[in-house]
Amino acid sequence: MTAPTLVPVRAPEPTPARRRLTRNAIRRSQASPVAYTFLIIVLLASVFPLWWSFVIGSKDATAINSGDVSLIPGGNFLVNARTVVDTLPFWKALANSIIVSTAVGVAVVLLSTMAGFAFAKLRFRGKGVLLVFVIATMAVPTQLGIVPLFIVMSKLGWIGSLGAVIVPSLVNAFGVFWMTQYLKEALPDELIEAARVDGASIFRIFWNIALPAARPGAAMLGLFTFIATWTNFFWPFIVLDPGNPTLPVALQQLQARYYVDYSLVLAGVVLAALPLIIVFAVAGRQLVSGIMQGAVKG
Amino acid sequence: MTTRATRTTRTGTRYKAVATVSIGLLALSACSSSSTTEPGAGSTPAGAAGGGQVTLTLATFNQFGYEDLLPEFEKSHPNIKVTHKKAATSNEARDNFNTRLAAGSGMADVEAVEVDWLPEILQYSAKFTDLENPSVDGRWPEWKTKAATDANGALVGYGTDAGPEAICYRGDLLKAAGFPSDRESVAKWLGTSWESYFAAGQQFAAKSKTPFFDSLGATYQGMINQVEKTYEDTDGTVIATTNPAVRKVYDEVVKAGIDNKLSAKLQQWSDDWTASYQKNGFATMLCPGWMVGVIEGNAKGVKGWDIANTFPGGGGNWGGSYLVVPKQSAHPAEARELADWLTAPEQQIKAFQKVGAFPSQVAAQSSPELAAVKVASFNNAPTGQIFSDRFKGISVSPFKGPKYFAINDAMQKALTRIEDGTSTPAASWDKFTADVQALG
Amino acid sequence: MTVTTKRPPDSSGPAGPGGGDRLPTRPSGIRPRSKLRQRLSRLDGAVSPYAYISPFFILFAIVGLFPLLYTLWVSLHQWNLIGGQGDYVGLKNFTDVLGQPFFWKALRNTLSIFVLSSVPQVIFALLIAAALDSGLRAKAFWRMSVLLPYVIAPVAVVLIFNDLFGDKFGLINQVLGYVGIDPVQWHKDTLSSHVAIATMVNFRWTGYNALIFLAAMQTVPRDYYEAALIDGAGRVRTFFSITIPQLRATIIFVVITSTIGGLQIFDEPRMFDQYGQGGADRQWQTLTIYLYNIGWTQKNFGRAAAIAWLLFLIIIVFALVNFVVTQRIASRESR
Repeated sequence: MTAPTLVPVRAPEPTPARRRLTRNAIRRSQASPVAYTFLIIVLLASVFPLWWSFVIGSKDATAINSGDVSLIPGGNFLVNARTVVDTLPFWKALANSIIVSTAVGVAVVLLSTMAGFAFAKLRFRGKGVLLVFVIATMAVPTQLGIVPLFIVMSKLGWIGSLGAVIVPSLVNAFGVFWMTQYLKEALPDELIEAARVDGASIFRIFWNIALPAARPGAAMLGLFTFIATWTNFFWPFIVLDPGNPTLPVALQQLQARYYVDYSLVLAGVVLAALPLIIVFAVAGRQLVSGIMQGAVKG
Repeated sequence: MTTRATRTTRTGTRYKAVATVSIGLLALSACSSSSTTEPGAGSTPAGAAGGGQVTLTLATFNQFGYEDLLPEFEKSHPNIKVTHKKAATSNEARDNFNTRLAAGSGMADVEAVEVDWLPEILQYSAKFTDLENPSVDGRWPEWKTKAATDANGALVGYGTDAGPEAICYRGDLLKAAGFPSDRESVAKWLGTSWESYFAAGQQFAAKSKTPFFDSLGATYQGMINQVEKTYEDTDGTVIATTNPAVRKVYDEVVKAGIDNKLSAKLQQWSDDWTASYQKNGFATMLCPGWMVGVIEGNAKGVKGWDIANTFPGGGGNWGGSYLVVPKQSAHPAEARELADWLTAPEQQIKAFQKVGAFPSQVAAQSSPELAAVKVASFNNAPTGQIFSDRFKGISVSPFKGPKYFAINDAMQKALTRIEDGTSTPAASWDKFTADVQALG
Repeated sequence: MTVTTKRPPDSSGPAGPGGGDRLPTRPSGIRPRSKLRQRLSRLDGAVSPYAYISPFFILFAIVGLFPLLYTLWVSLHQWNLIGGQGDYVGLKNFTDVLGQPFFWKALRNTLSIFVLSSVPQVIFALLIAAALDSGLRAKAFWRMSVLLPYVIAPVAVVLIFNDLFGDKFGLINQVLGYVGIDPVQWHKDTLSSHVAIATMVNFRWTGYNALIFLAAMQTVPRDYYEAALIDGAGRVRTFFSITIPQLRATIIFVVITSTIGGLQIFDEPRMFDQYGQGGADRQWQTLTIYLYNIGWTQKNFGRAAAIAWLLFLIIIVFALVNFVVTQRIASRESR
């Protein structure tokens, strides 16, 4: 249920990558001022909404309603942030988001690496058909199973619990596809053959050879799954209640009320956005290269 | 005939809390003569009084004003702990309520239900505890209790607050347009019928550019709440689209709001509606008791709000809620006790003082504490007195069937469409008809 | 990408005990040992692969496939959220849904928002990618800067943009007012509401897609450009005559993948106003909101299941069309 709505795709270019890389080393030309200007505008557009929410989130209702447009923050952010933390079960939501996203991230990586290893490196009957099936399920919106999923979760008595959010998110066909592609390239067949000849069991090969080789790709997958799960709203919104929410579900409550104080709403937005912004600051480079690798891998 | 051990809490200065220890007898009846002095006397099962700790959850929405009351309850009921979870709006609470009810688990021990969706849950009254108890006899006026009683006579919910309506207005704006602005004169000017209210509006419109009232939807709601039979017949037939009474209210409000341009066209609860409080958006609005708190919140820093002690058509109730105890609850007796205690007049008066939710309890109406309540930001209006007067004026209890909420929601959208300019009144009525038919 | 070629640390030589530690039941020191080992190894090779893929397939069967089929079952019944299963009604839920104008309106809104969010998104992403591909200083910084919106949850994005898109007092309308443009009725006019919602989607995804395009651009052989430069073609010219055609397949891939998400859009339209129903005149009610309202607000699970299946079929149709188009393009390119 948390598969990224947009998945990295492989480039269709048939030419070998190596040659292209060397070509790539030849710089075409220096970037023009036009490119810089354009990118500065894009940068401003990326940052402005966040800055705006900090500006509004640091004022009080009267200052906002006075109607003066100003891009300078006020001094009320901590007060607003405290109000948000007091009105919402903020810490609980934060903890829940961390638990759910971590659990889903780790589990998806594990399941995908296992399946990806088998699809990429093992020979078995029905492999081709099953792989096509996996790819086909990427197009199947599991989201549409919400009606029966809800009925099932009700029967299990899971409504309102984090398990109801975690379990349906574990199915991630994209993850399997990703790890299959990754391991195909990262793990030379000869290595496996040699290990087989040496009498190593499949498990040993998986554990000692495939897993280490899969680590960079798995980390990337884990990161993207973590973010997708963290930002997911629809299903958690259905099964969780306001007393035990994830961050997006809690955030939603700031708006769905009888009087909306945007200084509080946007202070809440800033607070809720911080954890992923921190993740971004730490792992932004990895995210960038993850998307770009996903795009050229084939 | 009954065995009761009572003790007063050390800190509860005014409230005597009663803990009941049963000795083999479960059929206890409270013998307090007046519920105003001894709230919440009721039966407690043997297990609970035996010292076992019980944790209850209470689910409310918006503002019930219970935050400070719960510690008080816990103090007087040392074996009970209460966790309070709040949804932001009635709609959100309803979604959650339905979801947990459907799931068969996860509901709070005590759930707040708004009067508009109470009829829906009465269909499933078997899933709720019958709260009939001597301790609450005569606590509410008949219309309040009737709405929470199912076909078999089981009392599903305890009334919390009610929404007696008055008219809130901006004295400064009236004054600027050359009209009187003190409460008595305004009440006289607005009169006691919809005709006089709208006529006053037209006088105002002739002298001011400010719209007279906020929205068609809100005004419609005040009017329809005075109609006995609206969308459904008592046998369950949907009559919304054929009922001349509904069409009449629709036409009247459209004429006043659109043809005569009295409406500010600000759909209630929308961002623009909220923001308009800071921008002289409109001069008057229908004002159930709980609306005072909403206006206060939205109109922070704005002076001039006041309340006129009158209401077109005499009186009307808009909103108000109930506390119910789902059968899912593992501690139905304690849950009932909590609901009983919270809905006792003393507690509801405190809630009124705190958030303006007007008590629906009969005994509360004559309470001096209630009468003393004034709201500073409303030109010191004696809201306690005014709403108490308006409360007594409520005579009609509109019949609300299981589809009331959905149909009324469709109607509100129909009115919004007219104000948005997306549909003509006639076309919007047709869409309303289609919506109602689609409910199936 | 570096490939780890570490050998298993305790991997033993040919004569070593092999995987003995994992097969404790095997009698040791006996001659037929190697034969048994071989057989076990073959068994391992034949069975293990299924063990590795089965967790995924089992889970998929439980939370993916089964709900889909069960949805069909529910859709053939009268089914109340609270009351549960009722009578078998055949295709009545489907005919009800298709017979009412609401489904079609929701479909129209969904497609409109989808088009408004994918076309400008692809165009802007291409432009950004082109700028990123033009020999910048501090490459990593610029790449990260365009990706920042991706880590902001849609719910947060909507809350921010709702403030900006206020009908009367929002910043955007205020700015439009300064330049003498009448305020746009973002929450009343159908197309305007779609533009506002599409803007939120675009905000979050344009940079992400730009990086995908950037990666694809870097695979375009540089001699193409060199040849064009020699021919005297300018930057704009080469962008349109070389870059875009070379990226055609990637563009289509991006569109396909955004189709699946785009047709299920919920967060942004749901949070676009306080009521969450897609507008008084259903101006921005998408299929998923319609599904949610029927199922959870109106409590009609039978009908909601029918909507889910119809939406599923629509997505399949889109996926197939996409697939065919891509195949065509791929085969043309390989020629």
